[in-house]
Amino acid sequence: MMEEKKHIAIIGGGPAGLESAENLFDLGYKVTIIELSDSLGGKLNNWHRLFPDRRLSKEILNHLKNKLNRNIQIFYNSTVIKTTRKEDKFFIELNNSSSLECDAVLLTVGFDLFNASIKEEYGYGIYDNVITSADLEYLFHANKPLLTKQGKTPEKVAFIHCVGSRDEKVGNIYCSSVCCVTGVKQAMEVKQLLPHSEILMFYMDIRMYGRFYEDLYLEAQEKYHVQFIRGRLSETAENIDGSLILKADDTLAGCPIKVNADLVVLLVGYVPSKYCSSLSKMLHIKCEKDGFFAPCDTHTDRNFTGSPGIFIAGACTGPKNLEATLADARSASITIHKYLLHVPVLEQINKVG
Amino acid sequence: MINEGKIRVWKDYQKEIADDRYFYVRSCIRQNFFPGAEKTFLRIMRDELRKDVFEDPRHTTCTGIAYHTDIVPLETIMTTVARQFSLMTENGYENIVPSCITSFGIYTEILELWEHHPEWEEKAKNYLFKSTGREFKKPKNLAHSSDVIFKYRNEIAHLAKHCLVNKETGQPIRVVEHIGCHYSRMFPQKGIGGAEYPFVLTGLAEAFGGEVIDYPERRACCGFGFRQYLVQANRGYSIACSKKKFESMAPYKPDMIITNCPGCPYFLDRWQYVISEMEGTTYGANGYGIPVLTFEELAGLMMGYNPWDIGLQMHQVSVEPLLDKIGIEYDSHDKYCDAEGIFMGKPEIPEILKFC
Amino acid sequence: MIKPDYFTQLKSDIRFNEGLHACINCGTCSAICPAAAFYNYDPKQIATQVQSRNEQVIENLLKSDTIWYCGECMSCKTRCPRGNTPGLIIMALRQLSIETGFFAESEKGRQILALKRVIGSNILNYGYCVHVEGISSEMHPEQGPIWKWIRKHAEKVYNRLGANYGKEGPGALRKISDSNLKELDQIFQVTGAYDRFDKIEKFSKKKATEMGYNTKIESMDPYFLMIYRHNSEKHYKQKA
Repeated sequence: MMEEKKHIAIIGGGPAGLESAENLFDLGYKVTIIELSDSLGGKLNNWHRLFPDRRLSKEILNHLKNKLNRNIQIFYNSTVIKTTRKEDKFFIELNNSSSLECDAVLLTVGFDLFNASIKEEYGYGIYDNVITSADLEYLFHANKPLLTKQGKTPEKVAFIHCVGSRDEKVGNIYCSSVCCVTGVKQAMEVKQLLPHSEILMFYMDIRMYGRFYEDLYLEAQEKYHVQFIRGRLSETAENIDGSLILKADDTLAGCPIKVNADLVVLLVGYVPSKYCSSLSKMLHIKCEKDGFFAPCDTHTDRNFTGSPGIFIAGACTGPKNLEATLADARSASITIHKYLLHVPVLEQINKVG
Repeated sequence: MINEGKIRVWKDYQKEIADDRYFYVRSCIRQNFFPGAEKTFLRIMRDELRKDVFEDPRHTTCTGIAYHTDIVPLETIMTTVARQFSLMTENGYENIVPSCITSFGIYTEILELWEHHPEWEEKAKNYLFKSTGREFKKPKNLAHSSDVIFKYRNEIAHLAKHCLVNKETGQPIRVVEHIGCHYSRMFPQKGIGGAEYPFVLTGLAEAFGGEVIDYPERRACCGFGFRQYLVQANRGYSIACSKKKFESMAPYKPDMIITNCPGCPYFLDRWQYVISEMEGTTYGANGYGIPVLTFEELAGLMMGYNPWDIGLQMHQVSVEPLLDKIGIEYDSHDKYCDAEGIFMGKPEIPEILKFC
Repeated sequence: MIKPDYFTQLKSDIRFNEGLHACINCGTCSAICPAAAFYNYDPKQIATQVQSRNEQVIENLLKSDTIWYCGECMSCKTRCPRGNTPGLIIMALRQLSIETGFFAESEKGRQILALKRVIGSNILNYGYCVHVEGISSEMHPEQGPIWKWIRKHAEKVYNRLGANYGKEGPGALRKISDSNLKELDQIFQVTGAYDRFDKIEKFSKKKATEMGYNTKIESMDPYFLMIYRHNSEKHYKQKA
């Protein structure tokens, strides 16, 4: 008699969930995806073009969905309401009365975007012409015209870096890593849409850490004449005509400045998904002080939570770009595979000195 | 402007304000420049709302101006504040209501200091006892007098004889609100509405039917700057800050400015006069200035009190254009009379600024 | 005994510890600072200069006009993403500048004598920081003609408006009785306010002598008027 396939439940059907589902299936396991919404793909559904090469997000989304074997079971509109451990197995109950038994759980719940209205001084949700990078991406994706609330074509667009990141005031001191490259990408996209517009970037640092990201920075300056001002935005105020006045310091020139803009785009950072907190309590696993899941070892074991059979991958373990998320998902697949094959794991790294 | 966004912010910054038995401590600046405002506060609270507002004449300045001009150390102001608390405790009160915004800021900072560093509360106890033999208990509730008026704004509006509406056009009076720096900047949670969109004056103006205007320099300091005004050589800073605000608000054509700090209305009033003399510019209609009222003065006007019992005759910028807009009647002769109704003579008229 | 370095002395001020964590030069404070708009002043530079812990740099600050430009409005506190407050750093620097006597080396620092004389005496004589009797139209022409009228008829004007002008008992501008002023006097004694007053006088007198003023007159009137009025006009941002 053939031994029954081991079963892995993947909580979260975004890129990390999809990539690991496909890999685990190919490794010979039974896989179930538990997805919160009515569609797969997570945030990939919301983006238009990806950095660094500006390919359409749809390409990756379709690729990830298409390579999913049809034997992978998917629960849509589902959340986990209870988990019970029975020796080596997990019994998972869902909100729609379904339940499943599995041998390992992989958490790929992704992230949320910072709620920009918390940064009151920037005026999101208060002033008409302040939007977020997510709002802008939606406009591109839905092919909507880029106009001010007053129906005018913006002549001057300002991008604001570090909204909700590197900010003790809002409780997130970490850097969200991808907002800088997102901003530069979007700046070029706006300039392509509105060739006569002036684009300004208000930044503290330009963090173009990834491969070919620096090329985008060069292109933004040389081809699209995007202006970069080193000064974090202090305050947005609104003029009588609905345009905005930005107060910042030009730290390199050494003087405070007030700049008018027709449209302000806030580059919002990552915050942990609310499911990080609720699942960590339910499964008795740890989160770090920044609210994202804690890996077993920072360098060598990023997919294991330390709790047998429970694994993590993707943005729920910290801000990362798409390629890192996909790589992390493949890494989690191997880690889970070795776990289910009972490959012995080194208990802890020996400390030196 | 999306109002829902502002309302969301205000919901996040609610604060507890005691509902009765207030120990009132006066403001040095308000007593000198707007004594009628304090009288109006007491009249509304005691006579209209029937609240217990107690004043111990032994209370002094909190020394806030001395502290912020750096002539006394933190230990001194802390102990002076402890003495105020001691008077409050001695009289059996637990809720303290300062009239001055700098005082409110100071009391908040000191209470926070003692909360996070209890050894400083010990220091205060020792200093106070050593210097005066007094002991104190911390107040259970600290609220600025504008917080208290805000709390009862609907009750006051209900009793009011007037509303903030232009009687000719039926349009709401256009109000610019100006919040004192030390109200909520240090501790946004201690101010109604927080630091960016404070609600304490907006709520009051709206309760009376006024329309509150946002304008780019709304959050800017009026420019008191303590030493920047008090020393003549520095006064350029102070007037420049106020001028920046006037230039920014002028396109919105406000009918009035409302303030809660006692210093701000002084500066926003007098600097309009000085700017008119220096540059010939006036910011109100027809060569007048924009009337600047304290929150107590506004509440008193709405209640139908005689403007000259509220103290509006002490302003350099005439308030009559605003009174006319609202339809408040006033006796121009009574403006310059004393409490017995005896005429004291008129002040000189400024050269440029139109004056009643 | 080796005196502790300036940074260590600053660290002993609780407001300094509240005010300086680490500055990343983002400029959100300078963007909003009223003094930065008007004066040659940059609050983020205050933070970065002090956090360098360099003795000479800090000493230069203590002797400069720079630390006296701040209006203590605390706008900086509302914006800093690192939780710093340049306004509190300034208060600690000013205190150290007074303790060391370095305040007397700068035009703006020297002004503190005028503040001590006027505000200090108001508090000790009246129990108020400001009092109508001390605010003359000559020293405050910006008060306008209305103030002349108010001062001329002070008691009557104030008493119509709920004051108890100069009398004992509750009311605005009441006479705060001597026993209460005595308590303030004791507080000033015990908490070190008089020590500070003495330092301000001592270092000012020394500087006035150096500058050639006649300090034999107790009140040092010509020096007092000079520091109250003199503005070298080199404090402002130049138009481009």
